[in-house]
Amino acid sequence: MSIRPRSRVAGLTVLAGLVLGGCGGYDDTVVPPPEAVETTPAAPATTPAVCVDDTNPTRSYTPIAVAAPGDFPSISTMAEIYDRGRLIAGVSADTYLLASNNPFTGQIEGFDIDMVEQVAEAIFGDPKAYELRVITAGERLTALQEERVDVVVRNMTINCVRWQSIAFSAEYYRSGQKILVRSDLADGQGPVVDTPAELADLRVCAPTGTSSLDNIKRASPEAEIVTASNHTGCLTLFQQGAVDAITGDDTVLAGLATQDPYAVVPEQEAFSAEPYGIGVNAGNVDLVRFINGVLERMRADGSWKASYEKWLAPTLGGGATQPQPVYGRTP
Amino acid sequence: MSQASASARASQAVATVGTPVPAPQHARRPAATPITEDVPRLLTQWQTIAVTACVLFGILGAMFQLLAWQASGRAADNTEQLVRLQQVQSSLFRADALATNAFLTGGLEQAEQRQEYDAAIDEVLRGIANAAEAQPADRDVLADLNTTVAAYVAGITQARDNNRQGFPIGAQYLRAAGAVLRADAGPMLEALVAANTQRAEDEMDGQNTLPLFLTGLAAVAVLWWVNRQVARRFRRRFNVGIAVAAIAIAVVTLVGLVASVNKSGDNDDLRAGSLRLAIAESSARASANDAKASESGRLIARGSGATTEPLWEAHARDVEDNASRETLPLWQTYAALHDEIVAQDDEGDWNAAVQLATSTDPGSSSEALAAFDQASQAVVTDAATTTTDSLRSGGILAVLLTIVTLLVGLGAAGAATWGVTQRRKEYS
Repeated sequence: MSIRPRSRVAGLTVLAGLVLGGCGGYDDTVVPPPEAVETTPAAPATTPAVCVDDTNPTRSYTPIAVAAPGDFPSISTMAEIYDRGRLIAGVSADTYLLASNNPFTGQIEGFDIDMVEQVAEAIFGDPKAYELRVITAGERLTALQEERVDVVVRNMTINCVRWQSIAFSAEYYRSGQKILVRSDLADGQGPVVDTPAELADLRVCAPTGTSSLDNIKRASPEAEIVTASNHTGCLTLFQQGAVDAITGDDTVLAGLATQDPYAVVPEQEAFSAEPYGIGVNAGNVDLVRFINGVLERMRADGSWKASYEKWLAPTLGGGATQPQPVYGRTP
Repeated sequence: MSQASASARASQAVATVGTPVPAPQHARRPAATPITEDVPRLLTQWQTIAVTACVLFGILGAMFQLLAWQASGRAADNTEQLVRLQQVQSSLFRADALATNAFLTGGLEQAEQRQEYDAAIDEVLRGIANAAEAQPADRDVLADLNTTVAAYVAGITQARDNNRQGFPIGAQYLRAAGAVLRADAGPMLEALVAANTQRAEDEMDGQNTLPLFLTGLAAVAVLWWVNRQVARRFRRRFNVGIAVAAIAIAVVTLVGLVASVNKSGDNDDLRAGSLRLAIAESSARASANDAKASESGRLIARGSGATTEPLWEAHARDVEDNASRETLPLWQTYAALHDEIVAQDDEGDWNAAVQLATSTDPGSSSEALAAFDQASQAVVTDAATTTTDSLRSGGILAVLLTIVTLLVGLGAAGAATWGVTQRRKEYS
């Protein structure tokens, strides 16, 4: 059998290709798909349930007079803190004006931090005798229940559900939930979005584990709700065009708007009342009473007013006063 | 041998094969055994078989040796790609460690630290481009990695810009960028490193020792069989030409096998030695920088060290498992300084902890990590160079063996042809 020249050339070409090319052609590199991560359920809903034993959730324990630093009953929470040498407070580090890290000084500062300093001053006589632990909104209750912190001062709304697991001081600030929108949704060129109803079909962000999230779901069921771990996370989504609006307490939104000239909080009525309280472990009633005493002292000596004027008045307006406390809760 | 006697033997052979002796009545004749044989035609067939065996041996033997040599070259290429990718990985985590650490010092970061970050990112981007050019099979993943790194760099830039204005959203961008790095870029780099490690090891196994042995054995077996067939018909045990061909093939096969076994042994040594060292040290370097980023992260997430420290500890275990004897003491120096930072933070003295973590003075944590990083990089470079140099060594020997094998195959074919031709002449 004769082999035709063309077939011979083809055969040699294949052989040469095999030899010269070797076996260097590899399968494409493939990135294995990420392992399915068991998603942790969202933080427990904070729906303000009907109060079982008291119709007013802001009712706290009757204050005790603030004595000299270190002058506490030997068996008391304040004495334990005094012996440790510092107050441990769970706070936010990214809620501008309330509690955020100042990159220039490296210190966390704001209205909430002033509250911490007042309590530290009352216990130690030193407003700086505290340790701050940055926690997320979803960690506020567990940090107290697990006694990782003595107090939580993190724009936390007092409500009956939370009273079931922790204790609160008297109300130290009355906030309200509002919405922040892109400037083009508030400039009057088109319909101004300044109520929850007008958020229909818009993407609105709220942090997980907050009462703000529950409130907006109820107030604007047709809005597309997007969640983030905190309000600053919402602002990054806002700046990336992933959401059109952010909802939260007016104090928080004021801080966000300060960081972005295209973020606007239109004139609007708050659609919820958010009374802030200082969270304490449910068993430390003596510390709650002590903190209420500190808040009373702040009212008397004008330090609450000074803090408000320093941090919140420039954006929320002056003239606010410290909320009137409601006492009489029994352990 | 005189022509007369040869002629007489040839006549005898004709008598033997041409006029078969009647078989005994009781013997069963094999069904396949021909009653008469056409000896010239048989000689032509045997000659064709012998020549084909020799030529095939020459071609296949040469091809196996050439492929083995090429496999070594590809193993070196894959090793270089592996080291290139690990360099990308290490530089990326180094950049993140620097960016995160710089964040602790506020908006006015140190110029040297910023330059080091820029240099690390520059290395990452160049490394990705070079890696994409070097290995087409990695291109798709590298394209995705490039996109991810671009997103990371953009996130860090936004973080830095906001931080310089004193806005807390800067920290959020930093956290988000770090999360992208670990969730997206990390698995891509791990897949690339794993794929190229596998490719390098597979190519190191490509010395074709068994195929070469089987090819030589088959060629010798065929020649033995042809020799046997010829010997049966011509009453001589060996055909000189065929015997010479078989011996030449056996010798060149033996030499090829010795070279192949030696190379395989060298490759095994590389895998257990310098290649393993390069891979392990690269892993240690990436983990060490990730640990430093975790350390800064715990301080940024101020006071939450108890929840972030396990991450640092996991990286530390990886470093301790993989760092070489040269670099482990340097890591331990850094780890001891990290313990001091943790102690200060746990005591509630965050400012002191930050001071320790951000200082670049001699004896500081950052300086200790930089010392580890530089030493680790040097170890990786040395080990990788040793590996690739060794894989690429012996090229001249491999080419010579390839040529010799091909020539021996062709020469053996000639010898076999000559040997069978002699018998054909005798028969004539």
